[in-house]
Amino acid sequence: MDEALAMQAAAPVRLLFEAQGLIKSYGPNRILMDVDFTLAPGESVALIGENGAGKSTFAKIITGVIRPDEGKLAFDGRDVVFNAPRDALAAGLAFIPQELAYVPNLTVAENIVLGQWPGRSGLTTPSAIRARAGAVCQHYGIHFDLDSPMRLLKLAERQLVEIVKALLRDARMIVLDEPTAALNEQESTALFSILKRLNGQGVGVLYISHRMDEVYRFSDRVDVLRNGRRVASVPPQRTTPSQLIAHMLGQEKEEFARGDQPRSGVAALALRGWKSGGLPALEDVSLDVQAGEIVGLYGVRGSGADVIAEGLAGLNGDVVGEIEIGGKVRRTFGSPYEARAAGIAYVPAERKRDGLVLGLPIRRNITLMMLRSLSRFGVMDGAAERALTDDLVRRFDVRYRGADQPVERLSGGNQQKVLLASRIATKPRYLVLHEPTRGVDVGARVEIHRLLAGVADDGCATLMVTSDVEEAVTVPDRLIVIRDGRIAGELAGAAMTQANAISLATES
Amino acid sequence: MSDTTMARPTDRFRIDAQFFGLAAFYLALVVIFSLATPNFMSWSNGVNVLSNVTVLGIVALGQTLAIVSGGFDLSVSGTLPLGAVAYVLLANAAVPIPAAIVLVLALGMVVGVVNGILVNRIGISPLIATLGTLSVTGGLALTLSRGVTIPMTNFDAGFLSEFAFGRVSWYVLVLVVLCILVHVLMRYTILGRMIYAVGGNADASRLAGIRVEAVSVTVYTVCAMLAAFAGVVVSSQLLVGSANVGANVALNSVAAVILGGASLLGGVGTIGGTLVGVLILGTIANGMALMMVPSFYQQMANGAILLLAVGLGRLREKRAGR
Ligand SMILES: Nc1ncnc2c1ncn2[C@@H]1O[C@H](COP(=O)(O)OP(=O)(O)OP(=O)(O)O)[C@@H](O)[C@H]1O
Ligand SMILES: [Mg+2]
Repeated sequence: MDEALAMQAAAPVRLLFEAQGLIKSYGPNRILMDVDFTLAPGESVALIGENGAGKSTFAKIITGVIRPDEGKLAFDGRDVVFNAPRDALAAGLAFIPQELAYVPNLTVAENIVLGQWPGRSGLTTPSAIRARAGAVCQHYGIHFDLDSPMRLLKLAERQLVEIVKALLRDARMIVLDEPTAALNEQESTALFSILKRLNGQGVGVLYISHRMDEVYRFSDRVDVLRNGRRVASVPPQRTTPSQLIAHMLGQEKEEFARGDQPRSGVAALALRGWKSGGLPALEDVSLDVQAGEIVGLYGVRGSGADVIAEGLAGLNGDVVGEIEIGGKVRRTFGSPYEARAAGIAYVPAERKRDGLVLGLPIRRNITLMMLRSLSRFGVMDGAAERALTDDLVRRFDVRYRGADQPVERLSGGNQQKVLLASRIATKPRYLVLHEPTRGVDVGARVEIHRLLAGVADDGCATLMVTSDVEEAVTVPDRLIVIRDGRIAGELAGAAMTQANAISLATES
Repeated sequence: MSDTTMARPTDRFRIDAQFFGLAAFYLALVVIFSLATPNFMSWSNGVNVLSNVTVLGIVALGQTLAIVSGGFDLSVSGTLPLGAVAYVLLANAAVPIPAAIVLVLALGMVVGVVNGILVNRIGISPLIATLGTLSVTGGLALTLSRGVTIPMTNFDAGFLSEFAFGRVSWYVLVLVVLCILVHVLMRYTILGRMIYAVGGNADASRLAGIRVEAVSVTVYTVCAMLAAFAGVVVSSQLLVGSANVGANVALNSVAAVILGGASLLGGVGTIGGTLVGVLILGTIANGMALMMVPSFYQQMANGAILLLAVGLGRLREKRAGR
């Protein structure tokens, strides 16, 4: 009996997936250097690393999106070569990329069954499509309005659709690139409980994350990439977060802490009696931000925090109310142009859609908002532009490979840094941040928080709208929590804790 | 990140590689034609090519702006004959030549503003909107000319065809000057930056405080004014005003711009590239004519080269992305 057990333990674990010696370069730049990786059935592995470490590149290679220069892949004990994502899918390996790929004008149901239409001999019907999509959603307890066009969905919902899409394909291994970057606590927990359930059925999961808490709560093993090398591979219980971070960064992480700042007590930017139709409806929201102050605005999805951010950017025409800005009172903004003209710099939540011109190089993105001040008689002053962008690229520590690299070829976190730099470049007096550190690694995140604090110290009134509770309680001077379109409370000083913020945001 | 390049980020576009490839292709074309026909490689034939591409070149400049801004302008094939007919009618009516040119430009401006409003305010897609104005302006040109070719009775109106020096006409010089102006506009001015940004990502540009609609209307206006001016050049060259000129110019200008490395999705493209695109089309026409190849073969050659150049570019891009 004992002997049999010992035998079993010694027998090699059958692997679901194995990658050996992956090497990948773009031009002269080595992105991955000899990376090995294994995944057992039912295992859940977190992949962490700095922005630009090569995580997304690794995920794309093992799922057939791009090809490695060297290295071997084996799925289910057999050597495989994936020439395209569809090969990987056919083998049972699904990939949910960092930047979602969907058809905006098709409905949710049509997107879910995309390429897997129910029916025979090339014929399918809308009702069959709806039924098929509805069945998967039902099975995993995820609910959507199946008939609404994909483009009308919020980012978090679109992410969930992608996940359902993979589930429909009976994937035996799912690779997710920063699946929770745009999800709040409850949504993440819901997602991971689904993934756990899949683990129980033998499905292997590999996910990329920048969130330490997730790594500890949900993974059997964590692998760390640094500069294209795998520098650690351990079960999280056998290590500490600070050890993992040290592996990632090659050094200890510094903590961000913002000291108390003297305040004028006069509001530089204030919202008065904001109301909006639609869902969520704002009901009489008023708040103010002083010069030099960072005010946090935290709420779960659908709380109305997004609406306030969009209203301040001039993106939401439904919002009515008053804005007091620089001593003047005016109606809400009718267009982004008005908001900009009033002196507000807005960092949108979706950098690819709303923030960056992906085909243009870093420099041109950074100076997008300040063409006028960098020019004389309509002609650009190249030297001034270069000086400014070189300085910002250094301050934000943007990691890039080639000098001509269009922004779309930067890693996600570095794109975010470019976006932030483009707004800070204007030396704004009012800064509205919407999810400012989405997809940014722990090291860079502290760096960005420090930069934002510096901008505030120079007198900028900053409103930070975030659904990241850790960020919400560490960066702002005070935190306003919003729930169901109303201000549920305000936290400051010692009361500003994650537990308080979450309970204010969720209890009804 | 020890292996991270810390060179400064530059402004050079990835289009450069394609541009040089295209320029090399153009040189190869020149070499082939020089070997094939003895008359090709001469100063006078060079001038000839330039003269023949002037009209297309002027229109393609405007088309580059439209395409880089994420739009498209088919109506140039109507605006051009409208400009040509209007110019000859005005000149024949003893309107002073400078005033006639200004009026023609104003006419172009109206067409451009209408295009801009249709696309931006009303939200009609550029293809449909400019297809509509193409018909309207083309019809207007026919109406004004009553469907016949109007001879130019005031020969001063043909001044652009006089030689500035040697055998180089004024209109060739005008083309050169316009190229430089539009190149500077695209490369070194705020408006140019805005055009690239708007074409690359209109939503992001709007949030960055750029008046996207205003930029687009400006672009359509400049494009139509250039097309109307090209009509003046045609009339000067032919010494007649006809509603039947410029029918090919819409598709050929788009072909030249795309050949020059621009994307129909917007956000990429340069004047240098467009110029090479225009020269390639013009040189093929010229070389084949010298070789006495019937002109319908030339049309096929144009198409094949467009597909080849763009196809190769896309393939290389794909390979680089893998
Ligand atoms: N198509 C490409 N051409 C050239 N370089 C590229 C390309 N794609 C990625 N890179 C470079 O490869 C490196 C690794 O990028 P990758 O996207 O894998 O990083 P990552 O670990 O996912 O980072 P993040 O956490 O920011 O998403 C980056 O430095 C990036 O600039
Ligand atoms: Mg990534």
